[in-house]
Amino acid sequence: MRVAHPTRASLALADGAPLLELTDVKVSYGGIKALKGVDLRVFPGEIVAMIGANGAGKTTTLKSIMGLVPLAGGAVKLAGRPLAQDTTEQRVAEGISLAPEGRAIFPNLTVLENLELGAYLHRDAKAMKETLEDVTELFPRLGERMKQEGGTLSGGEQQMLAIGRALMARPRLLLLDEPSLGIAPKLVQQIFRAIAEIARSGVTILLVEQNTRIALSTSQRAYVLRTGEIALEGDAKELASNPEIQAAYLGG
Amino acid sequence: MNILEAVFTGITQGAMIALVALGYTMVYGVLKLINFAHSEVFMMAAYFGLVFLSLLIGDVSAVNGIVSPEAASSTFAGVFGALRGHPLAAAAAATVLAMLAASALGIGVERVAYKPLRGRGKGALVRVTPLVTALGMSVLLQNLAQLLFTARFRPYPQVLSGEVQVPGLGAITSSRALILGASIIVMIGLELIVKRTWFGKAMRALSANEEAARLMGVRTSRVISMTFALGSSLAALGAVLFCLDQSQVYPTMGVVIGTRAFVAAVLGGIGSITGAMLGGLLIGIIGELVKLTDYSGGVDVLVFLVLILVLLVRPAGLLGSTRTEKV
Amino acid sequence: MARGQAGKSGGLRWSRLAVGAGVLGVALLCDLYLADFVHDSSIRQLFMLAACNVLVASSLNVINGMAGQFSIGHAGFVGLGGYTSAVIASNLHEMLGGGEPTFARSFIVVPVCLLASATLAGIFGFLVGLPSLRLRGDYLAIVTLGFAEIFRLVIATAQAGEDGSPIARALSRLGGQNGYMGIDNQGIPLYAGPFWVFGLAFVLGVVAWRIKFSGWGRALRALREDEIAAAAVGVDPTRYKVTSFVIAAVGAGVAGGLMAIMRDGTPIVNPDNYNFQASFDAITMVILGGSGSVTGAAIGGVFITFSIKAIEQVQATSAVQALRREFESLDLNALRMIVYALVLVLLMVVRPEGLLGERELFQKRRGGRGGSGPDAPRAGAKAEAA
Repeated sequence: MRVAHPTRASLALADGAPLLELTDVKVSYGGIKALKGVDLRVFPGEIVAMIGANGAGKTTTLKSIMGLVPLAGGAVKLAGRPLAQDTTEQRVAEGISLAPEGRAIFPNLTVLENLELGAYLHRDAKAMKETLEDVTELFPRLGERMKQEGGTLSGGEQQMLAIGRALMARPRLLLLDEPSLGIAPKLVQQIFRAIAEIARSGVTILLVEQNTRIALSTSQRAYVLRTGEIALEGDAKELASNPEIQAAYLGG
Repeated sequence: MNILEAVFTGITQGAMIALVALGYTMVYGVLKLINFAHSEVFMMAAYFGLVFLSLLIGDVSAVNGIVSPEAASSTFAGVFGALRGHPLAAAAAATVLAMLAASALGIGVERVAYKPLRGRGKGALVRVTPLVTALGMSVLLQNLAQLLFTARFRPYPQVLSGEVQVPGLGAITSSRALILGASIIVMIGLELIVKRTWFGKAMRALSANEEAARLMGVRTSRVISMTFALGSSLAALGAVLFCLDQSQVYPTMGVVIGTRAFVAAVLGGIGSITGAMLGGLLIGIIGELVKLTDYSGGVDVLVFLVLILVLLVRPAGLLGSTRTEKV
Repeated sequence: MARGQAGKSGGLRWSRLAVGAGVLGVALLCDLYLADFVHDSSIRQLFMLAACNVLVASSLNVINGMAGQFSIGHAGFVGLGGYTSAVIASNLHEMLGGGEPTFARSFIVVPVCLLASATLAGIFGFLVGLPSLRLRGDYLAIVTLGFAEIFRLVIATAQAGEDGSPIARALSRLGGQNGYMGIDNQGIPLYAGPFWVFGLAFVLGVVAWRIKFSGWGRALRALREDEIAAAAVGVDPTRYKVTSFVIAAVGAGVAGGLMAIMRDGTPIVNPDNYNFQASFDAITMVILGGSGSVTGAAIGGVFITFSIKAIEQVQATSAVQALRREFESLDLNALRMIVYALVLVLLMVVRPEGLLGERELFQKRRGGRGGSGPDAPRAGAKAEAA
């Protein structure tokens, strides 16, 4: 994967400083507190997993990073800079991409058009062509279906499309929301191999996942979210052997 | 009048209706909202066209009470005097100016009536409030025209005369030929815009899934504004062409033509651009065929009956997507 | 709503009956003596028209306010009621021997007319309401508009002297664009005096109030807030939506019928009385007062009626007429519509719930029974948070 983008300045990041930092992030929906103060840090080059039950606030955390929900408190910082004033579009331009829950591809657009839209803010023709090559190399199935409408793809292929589409912006930080949701186990393996591959090329990844086993085995560090708060955090391998986690999320 | 002739007249009528219908369908696509004010933008555009055309050809008799003869001779003469002797060029320039003015009006309507409502939470009111503001804007514009231009019927200066020979049909008026030609060119152009340009792709993405479109970096409010501008300028083109062909301008013309255009959009499948074109042609042809029967006064009754029937039997229209909408 | 209290205090029921009887008594006195106190018939007409519009507004309120549907063709039902009553009153009057419409005879004519109006409007309300099962808000709005326009256009374009079907001939007898003026154009007999107008406005207002605070009204509100959730707890959307349309249409039919045969009114019904502007006025009445509020609808009805009449009065003054000769385009009614439209748009932006919201005037606090206020958590938000 080629990840440096020709039209975007590279970030000056001090050694050991986090790429993404959430401090005391609070979000509420009409009086219901969805996030009660989340602290989270993602360092460059990492795969960080966020696990937790349904309704724990995982998707909301990602939405707050993208600016899709208003913050009731706290701050989101990218490379030390607060994002509070930035619109979703600006955040995309700064190099954050989200492959949303349930894929949310554009069903009546072709696969190619879906991917092109991923590069909406980076229309450099050469870079687009290169990234398109990289994405089809990563997901050969997409290459075979370029002219097909997105809505005709299988669930797994749609997930590949959603990730590929997010990659078209050549993000520094890739947010993945439940990439294994509703997908055949064989394809889940493929998708997670691709995720590891993306990370190796230098993209930082924050991965939200209910499939705790695969999430912990893919990531280096992990956060456990429980009813809008961080309940546990730490090294992914240690968490995987934590009896509490095993009981609650790994089925024994 | 024989049937063939009626069908041909219906096609020119339909092409014009389709131009207006496109505005409904595109706005519905991006906002999931019936822009009731669109028919009034159409009507206003007809007035804009009339004012510009009168000024450009230097004959303000049709716009007395709106533009004073002095203003026409002093300010405009210097700038556009060159077009005086060329009615065709004047008509073209007036059309373009009317399209620009209508775009501005369309964007204005969106800013005032729809934008402030966006991003409100869910609940019962969210469905109803945009309908109320849309209706409000429609009533407002119509009565504004009433105040500004009076309820009088104003004839358009007939700058296009003469006939064109069409093989198989005989002579048709050159204005009809122009309507047909212009509509075909514009629709091909629109198809290209929607399919090939970044704006077109962003518009389709926005129709499919607003949040996902924002995640691509699409600035939704800009795309929405551009959609309104595009739809309004197409309506303006339809309005000027319509008036050049046959008609007079009056404040309630939007209700008559706008309603037919709206029905055309629903018939074709609201949200579908090809559907709007098809629906427009169908409504145009049906309207002309009805005129051949004894019930010539019943065109609008029939139009509404078709509308209700379509909504009951196939709410998605002829070409609309049948994907069920999530509540 | 008084079920719990009735056992405790039987006096409450009696006092209610007394209030009802009092109001009807006052209405009766108005009927007999109002003309002696208020000599200007246009003022009497104004007050009665206001009462009729209260009925129009509170019936529309059932659909637009309580059920959360959106009808923009209410004038169609009003017109249906109007024409029905006009035709029946004219024919009954002829059968009863003509002459002056007397108060005694009104007890035959008015109930028959209004029953017919209500029935016919109700049937069409049912038909128009049926699509509400399948159609989302804005589409449904279009259906209501379509119905109202079809009604208006069918009457307006019916041509006399056609040798067509019996239906066409019957329609053409309704006068087409010129309006219906009774048998042989001698005018519609105006039977409904203040007793009927004020009395019915009061009675039906109470009915609207009872509907709102009944279990039925609560179910309707639940449906409006979250259809899926309401259906999950056993509220059948189909039945409630269609019934709300029927109720609203019946109310509108009665209102239209009353207006058509109202004493001191005009002895003519015209298709243009029931155009889109009339529907828009009805919407304005409901929204100004507050969608869902019965008293709000009543206030809106009175306010709009008075303002329309006031504008007409001002328009007729010599000063304005002189101005109009100078400025041809000075049309105060257009100005009124512009102002209403602006107010409506601004209201939607600033305070979408209307003047009163769902609250009622004269309503005792009843532990949140008055429906969800603006600060009540919305069911939709909860679903979104998940």
